[in-house]
Amino acid sequence: MSERVALSLMVNGEAHEVAVPARKLLSDVLREELGLTGTHVGCEHGACGACTIWVDGAPARACLIFAVQMTGRAITTIEGIGDGALTAFQQALHEQHGLQCGFCTPGIVMTVEAYLKENAAPTEAEVRDLLSGNLCRCTGYHNIVKAVLATVATARA
Amino acid sequence: MSDGFDVIGKPLLRKEDRRFLTGQGRYLDDIVIPRALHACFVRSPHAHARIRAIDVAAAKAAPGVVAVVTGAELADWTTTLRMAPPIEGLVPMEMTALPRDKVRFQGDPVACVVARDRYLAEDAVEQVAVDYEPLPAVADMTAALAPGAPLVDDALASNLVSHQHASFGNPAQRFREADRIVEARFSQGRQTHAPIETRGCAAIWDEGRQHLTFHIGNQVPHGFRTQLAARLTLSESQVTIVCPDIGGGFGQKIALYREELTVAALARALKRPVRWREDRIENLTSASHAREDFVRTRTAVARDGRILALEVEIVEDFGAYSFYPANYLARVIAMILTGPYRIQDYAYDVKIALTNKCGAGPMRAPMAITSWVMDGTIEAVARALGLDPVAVRRVNMLRADELPYTMATGERLEDVTPRETLEAALTAIGYDGFRRDQAADRARGRHRGLGICAVVESTTYGSTFYKAAGIPGSGHEAAWVRVDPSGAVSASVGLMASGQGYETALAQAVAEGLGVTADAVQMQMGNTDIAPYGMGSRGARGATAGGGTAYLAGCELNAKVRSIAAGMLGLNTADELRMRAGRIERHVAGAWTDAGVTLVDVARRAYLDPTNLPAGMAPGLDCHKTYDPPQMTYSNATHVCEVELDVATGQLTLLRYVIAEDCGTVLNPALVEGQQHGATAMGLGGALYEQVLYDADGQNLSASFVDYLLPTAAELPPFEVIAMHTPNRRTPTGLKGMAEGGVMGAIGAVTNAVNDALAPFGVIAERQPLTPMYLRDLLRGRT
Repeated sequence: MSERVALSLMVNGEAHEVAVPARKLLSDVLREELGLTGTHVGCEHGACGACTIWVDGAPARACLIFAVQMTGRAITTIEGIGDGALTAFQQALHEQHGLQCGFCTPGIVMTVEAYLKENAAPTEAEVRDLLSGNLCRCTGYHNIVKAVLATVATARA
Repeated sequence: MSDGFDVIGKPLLRKEDRRFLTGQGRYLDDIVIPRALHACFVRSPHAHARIRAIDVAAAKAAPGVVAVVTGAELADWTTTLRMAPPIEGLVPMEMTALPRDKVRFQGDPVACVVARDRYLAEDAVEQVAVDYEPLPAVADMTAALAPGAPLVDDALASNLVSHQHASFGNPAQRFREADRIVEARFSQGRQTHAPIETRGCAAIWDEGRQHLTFHIGNQVPHGFRTQLAARLTLSESQVTIVCPDIGGGFGQKIALYREELTVAALARALKRPVRWREDRIENLTSASHAREDFVRTRTAVARDGRILALEVEIVEDFGAYSFYPANYLARVIAMILTGPYRIQDYAYDVKIALTNKCGAGPMRAPMAITSWVMDGTIEAVARALGLDPVAVRRVNMLRADELPYTMATGERLEDVTPRETLEAALTAIGYDGFRRDQAADRARGRHRGLGICAVVESTTYGSTFYKAAGIPGSGHEAAWVRVDPSGAVSASVGLMASGQGYETALAQAVAEGLGVTADAVQMQMGNTDIAPYGMGSRGARGATAGGGTAYLAGCELNAKVRSIAAGMLGLNTADELRMRAGRIERHVAGAWTDAGVTLVDVARRAYLDPTNLPAGMAPGLDCHKTYDPPQMTYSNATHVCEVELDVATGQLTLLRYVIAEDCGTVLNPALVEGQQHGATAMGLGGALYEQVLYDADGQNLSASFVDYLLPTAAELPPFEVIAMHTPNRRTPTGLKGMAEGGVMGAIGAVTNAVNDALAPFGVIAERQPLTPMYLRDLLRGRT
């Protein structure tokens, strides 16, 4: 099970040649082989959402994917978000105190950024439903919800 | 609110955020350590079993494996932990690094595999063959205390590891005088902290220097170092603890756990770095549990609702091991139970039971059940007497003119405002209007309930509290503040943050004392070679102990800065100087004017031109300060929660949630509100969803996040916070501390609300979590 498989991974627009065991999780390959440690591993069973990344632009759990499945797919991680500046939503999280320990934050950013591309005007109930796939143990979600709504309000103003 | 303060009391945005928002936070598992091996633990599948033999040969031969060790090797490398503080009624317990004779819960570690990577280590764990002789297990605290129960710890005479009782005033007489005697029962489910980052550590032994560098996210780095060094028989100066960013702690990351001790010992024995990160199953089953208690109150009351006397019986399930003195959690509940109420005739009886479950420890608000028990008792009194529960609170609640008030147990309440928070919360929720609407709704088959819970939160424990409670340790804190020759300001305390925003809030405390902006202060925490020896982050001591000490250190250094500046300005005294935002100002003709001297000028003179300092002044510009807070500080709050109960399904919906809280002077109100939200959310999670479940044989049935249910954004309500700020007169700047009271208020408010909704059906919910299944059980045959 330790034989390595060579593959090419397209991550944040950059091609990476790696050789990893077939059973190695995408989350571990991103973190250990590519040094992209912003993708956090919180549960390894797809329940907490901390490892949320995008595969071809759609949110996915990196802990539920083997890296060898990702040939030919475009992966985006938290490190690929924002062109060097904070996005409007990241800035809103900052201003609304929507993060505390920060461990769940990258997963929340990936979940919300993908959603906002498709949904410009969610209601609070829709935002809460969206966030229900990301566990945060610190904030009680109140300020995260505020940050999403503030982002939407600013974009529409 | 910031009365006379420049920096504290302002909702400054957090310095920490940028790295966390962009994925640049540096948590334990993000640290790259060349040549590091990965540890993985072999864990018991049995709740209770004799270890006959452990065969590690196959595991040692597995691919990539470097070592496999058991309790036998660890016994040569480490000392035993003896938990034996001199507390009356507490039975001493001992614990080895890994068990050698028997396992005591499902998940107990029995061996450790070290391999080239985590996957290979996990593979090899399957190859370790442990020959167990299963023993009868006791997975229930009542059964554990019954005569003839299997012994969890063979060295003890029974599973009753701690028993304490006390009586104040004359409860027996008051019970004879009472119009009514009201009984009520309360029990919380077993819970666990579930930080989103699990436990983990990395040990690097430097054979040449004979020095251990230990990376770990820990709330109390110095206390951890003391324990780790002692158990490895190293000097404390041979151990450096380095805390990276911590992905949540909530009390789980304080103790030195056996896995961490094992990893440190292995790194030293193998002379190679060893790292470990537990998976979520291990975290949920084997890290630390909390709560699970049963409480019964008996209350002697007069017809008008006055409480004449209160007796409380507490039984807590402590699990199998003692990482803390067993009375540590429940004792505080008994000490502060009467909260904001006028009760002088009081008695408590507290029993702590060992069971074949994961050991318990402090979890955000170790005394969480306190406010539910007290305000739930008030509700029971109101039901028994046919009175409005608010009226019963008002008749018993302390008035401002009764403060300071010494509770029956000797605890002293001062500068608290229980009536103000009660009235503010009731006004915000619209109590009278709610009652009218509720009656109309009930007639239509809609069942809403409103619950109130008054909270008196013990926040900062001074060293005299520890002394009085007979617990070794101290509540003081240490800080240093340093201005470098360039004028750059650094500061440190002995606390380590796990999300609270100390890098911002404590910088505000330093900045206020020193006279600079918060931006100018860089906090350095979590490295024991850099931070001063302090008592860490626990309870709600961050603001008063951490912030208070940091503020006082800033003030002390400010005095030196002003003396130097006075010399530079040719003044005999610094009395008419102050520093604001790093610039010296002089009081001239009734106004403060810029004196043309900055902190940079002062720092340069202090370091580079010391012969021009005032006579007798030592060169340099830094200071180290310790501070011991009062025996105890208290914050107070009232939580009011409105729920809707679907009586057909048992489903609960949280409609509104109001928190009126008075936590004194605050360092940063935005961060305080964030703590209020988070603590309340944790309380609601425990009251409604979370439960560590064991079957009768001690098998853990809640080992994943689809079984152990944390609340999500979809279940929790928005929080309406009413902030009040009555300063504590004994602490620097009037700080009180907060961050645990939200848990206390939530579990009481939501349960009282549910019982209000259940009232027409004549049933009472007296245990948590308030699952739909439980509520339907109560309602069956009554709807």
